[in-house]
Amino acid sequence: MNCEEILHEYGAYALGIAEDPERREISEHLARNCPNCVPGVRRAMELVAGLSAAAPAADPPRRLRGRVVALVSPQSGRRFPIAILAPWAVALTLAVALIAVVLPGRLRSGDAAKLAQALSIIGDPAMQDVSFGPPATRGRVFLSPGKGVVLVAAGLPPLDVNKTFELWVIPKTGNPIPAGLFRSQANAAVFVHAGAAPNAAAVAVTIEPEGGSAQPTTTPFIVAKL
Amino acid sequence: MTLFGFLLALNLGGEGDEELVRRLQARDPEALSDLYDRFGKLAWSVILSIVRDAAIAEDLVQETFLRAWNRANGFEASRGALGPWLLTIARNQAIDHVRSQSYRMDRCVYELDATEHPALFLDMESTILNANYARAIRNAITKLNANQRKVIELAYYEGLSQTEMAERMGQPLGTVKTWVRTALKNLRDELGEAAVA
Repeated sequence: MNCEEILHEYGAYALGIAEDPERREISEHLARNCPNCVPGVRRAMELVAGLSAAAPAADPPRRLRGRVVALVSPQSGRRFPIAILAPWAVALTLAVALIAVVLPGRLRSGDAAKLAQALSIIGDPAMQDVSFGPPATRGRVFLSPGKGVVLVAAGLPPLDVNKTFELWVIPKTGNPIPAGLFRSQANAAVFVHAGAAPNAAAVAVTIEPEGGSAQPTTTPFIVAKL
Repeated sequence: MTLFGFLLALNLGGEGDEELVRRLQARDPEALSDLYDRFGKLAWSVILSIVRDAAIAEDLVQETFLRAWNRANGFEASRGALGPWLLTIARNQAIDHVRSQSYRMDRCVYELDATEHPALFLDMESTILNANYARAIRNAITKLNANQRKVIELAYYEGLSQTEMAERMGQPLGTVKTWVRTALKNLRDELGEAAVA
């Protein structure tokens, strides 16, 4: 599609409610830094961000500031509460995910949401799963073409403070697609990427600079071929 | 009461976005505290208005600031609009949660991450978070007709896709798309006039 055909969807895109094929087309125009679509979507983003000013004001609980600050405090041993979850085995992931669905109030809500996503991926009839390793890093990947990827990994290499793990979906044709950043705790991680992963040939993980990369800059230390 | 009152009292002086972004990029833990002090209440208000549960909102605010901390290196300090970026992350966190709770992730696979790309926040007016803008957008929303206001609410607060809105409202998809488009155009026109006035 050309810019004329998608410009009416800039607002929906900025709101996160656009649908294919317009959503995909706008993403592609943005990826190639389209001189029409980038400023158009930026103006729409500005309007959507401005809508936040219309939200009813509320005071956060005082403890919340401490929780946020503790995320990066040198004294805190718990820096990445959602991105890493915990070093669970696959069976435990499934069990806890089930608990999250049945008893959502018993778990931290963010964890419950991630676990619900994991269950949705793992429960998809179209799901593919493959093991990788040992000897070094070992684990398992669950991939649903329509829903996303669950990575369960142990024996992850140590990370420098300014580095991150980045998950990639490798399509049968084309470049690797970034599928999220995560870190590990106790050298293990469960990571959930919610999002379509069609035509995937493999899932890989690399070490990238903090903030991630658009394309891999290091050799993958996990490659799970589907 | 809306955020208007808070925005009036918000201290917009002091350290600018650029210096704060540089400190975040330098991994200065104090910078995260300062980021929270500047935008924590806004993020909380946005998230709470969407998820309507304080315990969930606490988790999502925490995730919002962690995400900003982890992704600050991709931000262009001299040109990026920090507040709008952070509030976009906050809303996305909340919408992701609402969608996952209602098991709509598989139907609405749109990755909100794309709207958090720092390049989309370059040279953006930081004034969209000041009191005048807040007043103008509230006023502009009141001037939308009922259908236009409804679709904006369903999109912004529930993250419904246009197809889902059409189903919910019992209207053709084309009609809903027109309402969304017209609503956003009217808001923009109204805000433009307010800026001139």
